[in-house]
Amino acid sequence: MKRLVEVTINGERHALALEPYRSLLDVLRNEVGLTGTKKGCDVGDCGACTVLLDGKPVNSCLVLGVEVGGCEIVTIEGLQRAPDRLHPLQESFMQHGAAQCGFCTPGLIMMASALLAENPQPTEDEIRFGIAGNICRCTGYTKVVTAIQAAAKGMAEGGK
Amino acid sequence: MRVVGTSVKRSDVIGKVTGSAQYAGDVRLAGMLHGRIKRSTIAHANIKRIDASRALALPGVKAVLTHQDVPRVLHYGAPHPRSVSVTRDQYILDRKVRYWGEGVAAVAATSEEIAEEALDLIEVEYEPLPAVFTVEAALAPDAPQIHDTAYSGNLVFKPVVITRGDVAKGFAEADLVIEGEYETGRPTPAYMEPNVCVCQWDNTGKLTVWVSTQAAFMVRGILAEVLGLPLTKVRVLVDHMGGGFGAKQDLFQHEFLCALLARETRHPVRMEYTRGETFVGGRSRHPCKIWLKQGFRKDGTIVARAARTVFNTGAYGSHGPGVTTVGTAALTSLYRCENVHLEGRCVYTNTPIAGAFRGYGVVQTYYALDIQLDEAAERLGIDPVELRLKNAVREGDIAPSGHPLVGHGLEDCLRRGAQEVGWAQLRRRARGDSGTLRRGWGVGCEMHGSSAYPGIKEQGNAIVKLNEDGTAVLLTGAAGLGTGAHTALAQIVAEELGLPFDDVSVVHGDTDVVPWDIGAFASHTTFMVGRAAQIAAGEVKKQLLERAGEQLEVAPEDLEIGDGTISVRGVPDRRITVRECMGPKLGLPAANILGKGTYTPTKSYSFAAHFVEVQVDTATGQIEVLQVVPVHEVGRVVHPVAAAGQIEGGIQQGIGHTLTEDYVVDLATGRSLNAGFVDYKMPLAMDMPPIRTILLETAPDPGGPYGAKGIGEDPIIAIGPAIANAVYDAIGVRFRHFPITPEQVLAALKEKSSGSA
Repeated sequence: MKRLVEVTINGERHALALEPYRSLLDVLRNEVGLTGTKKGCDVGDCGACTVLLDGKPVNSCLVLGVEVGGCEIVTIEGLQRAPDRLHPLQESFMQHGAAQCGFCTPGLIMMASALLAENPQPTEDEIRFGIAGNICRCTGYTKVVTAIQAAAKGMAEGGK
Repeated sequence: MRVVGTSVKRSDVIGKVTGSAQYAGDVRLAGMLHGRIKRSTIAHANIKRIDASRALALPGVKAVLTHQDVPRVLHYGAPHPRSVSVTRDQYILDRKVRYWGEGVAAVAATSEEIAEEALDLIEVEYEPLPAVFTVEAALAPDAPQIHDTAYSGNLVFKPVVITRGDVAKGFAEADLVIEGEYETGRPTPAYMEPNVCVCQWDNTGKLTVWVSTQAAFMVRGILAEVLGLPLTKVRVLVDHMGGGFGAKQDLFQHEFLCALLARETRHPVRMEYTRGETFVGGRSRHPCKIWLKQGFRKDGTIVARAARTVFNTGAYGSHGPGVTTVGTAALTSLYRCENVHLEGRCVYTNTPIAGAFRGYGVVQTYYALDIQLDEAAERLGIDPVELRLKNAVREGDIAPSGHPLVGHGLEDCLRRGAQEVGWAQLRRRARGDSGTLRRGWGVGCEMHGSSAYPGIKEQGNAIVKLNEDGTAVLLTGAAGLGTGAHTALAQIVAEELGLPFDDVSVVHGDTDVVPWDIGAFASHTTFMVGRAAQIAAGEVKKQLLERAGEQLEVAPEDLEIGDGTISVRGVPDRRITVRECMGPKLGLPAANILGKGTYTPTKSYSFAAHFVEVQVDTATGQIEVLQVVPVHEVGRVVHPVAAAGQIEGGIQQGIGHTLTEDYVVDLATGRSLNAGFVDYKMPLAMDMPPIRTILLETAPDPGGPYGAKGIGEDPIIAIGPAIANAVYDAIGVRFRHFPITPEQVLAALKEKSSGSA
């Protein structure tokens, strides 16, 4: 039996009829067509599917689609401030070489955006703790940490 | 250099940070079905009976394939078929299973859930066969033979034997002989994007495949061969891919099954591995046992080296011969020795398949070599860096590939690293041997070749076209694994043509469009395809200057090009922009300028020395890497940020190999015990130490574009022995295997203290 769920995704209202067993990750990718959110493990181990649920980062593979009625969800596609204006984290990841294969990147950026919203000037240790649940196999995290630090600095200086 | 050597903004990254980059798993087609694979629950057995009738009766199931339904063609599971590096020993589905988790049937259904449910309804009756899970068991005289096609017993191929000089004479001259046995674990590449493909047939009988692969033309070739199609009827598309690290050179089982299910159902079919399947049905590094014996003179000169290696390839050969040959042959070098005798074996076992993985056999053998060198340094009373410098390979030495080395890269890396960390002072420092936390420093070295020569005589290809507005397009078959290869190739074209970087675009990832490519592996893309791109751009430049010469009424040799402008040398006022030179005028169309480059390299070698500080907690056995200073000599650096990124990521994987990563197979049943990210522990953000990367350009190789050499595999090799040597420095225990676990550290410390008491 499908259930009707109304949810706001990246500022747009969606009315979705969902089987109760489907994960938010599955719904985002296959119902809404937002494939920027990646499936690396589907069991909450890798963080590639991180999105913001009412401002909090979640592994979207561990949330059921039917649980998000009335909620506000932001995915990597919704982080951009305008079509030609990227989020400072997106700019910073590009500039500092923090994305290689890019499969973990959307999840990492969403997690980092949640971190900076809560703690705008994190220390390196706080950054590493903040992204501890996001597996990246390409970068060794060196440039990821640099990119998040640089974005935090830029956002503070930009008065955001 | 204007463009080469600068960290331009990578062209592939905007899609990755915004979520718009399309990976194979993101493809959605109308009417698409979902495929799943049923996997064996036994490590070695004949399939007595397989019955899909109950699965086919499940509503939503559109097709089921078993070995009775698929073409029975013996094929190479790995690319570059007909090369000696790989083995022809696979069927799409066989009547026999050779490891726990091997695919025995496939289902296509209207949803993944239904497909999954259908798997349980397929009945398989097995006739169990005796199974072997270790190389010792597989080499025993009464061992069951896993493949009829094996060289002999369970040997994948004829053992490789390499001899230089007279090893007996060398040992006779030695003042010190050291002998040791070394063993390496079974790490897996654990790329973030699980294996995935989507297959669709059109009404002309043409198959289109979206797939995550490093070797699109190999996928095309093997699919065509096995399915009996001409190459015009198979098109393989790869845009972005989420890592591969070597393993995604192989065809796994799903590409064939997905294509056949799509043909059977007349619907597009998508097949994606779960993370567990990515372990079980993926490719690991070859677990390896190494016996190594070396003779030294008092002054540190190595006078003899003998080794035997045994690589465990698992249930199928894949890259076993290549890995065994490259890993074994690597022991001819790194540290000079005139008298060498090496033997390498590759053995089938009933375990998951080992394949190509960054470092390709050299990770294993240099781990042994560099740990033994450290032991020799101590016993000879020579500083470890000094002993390495004394024996480091240098200009003109014969490389493992059989041709002379260029430059003194290894010495340069050692000297620079020793200076950077203050090695001499570190060796003299006072030791705090009483505390719980003990710190130590270690060094490890490596050299690694770009290209798979001489195992394969490779070929890089490129086409460059000039547009009528003066911009250029590069067509390349090289895959973008995530390394930034396409950016590096575009930089080389921009450099050669005197264009700004942004004026060069790259077309890739469509086997119907781009020139043939061997695949992105063997650290060769920038080196080999980069050189091909440089040659192609050079041809374009030649044609362009001829045209400009006519327009400016000077000889083409008198022209120079830069910043999109062509000018007469010494007369900068006589100039024309590339756009003006190319463009249409007075009713005449623009010029058709196109250049083609093909390059068949031998090999260049890159070098590195890694300096590592570790801390060992003697109460818990935990080893923590505190800092790494990797010094890499890679010839001309094309993109410094991307090159450093490769190094840092390789170090991450190498730390994992050495300390925590091991894909474990139950030695009673062959069952995988930790096929998931919780139980297969990789170093993550909180585990990774600071890395201070140093790039040297002191030994450029004329074989590469502007002297550039490879970097992809190098950083995973030296880190392992550097850590093991640092652990010895910290606690005085010599480990000769990886991973080195806390339990083993505690046990060794206990044994050491009881021994000395």
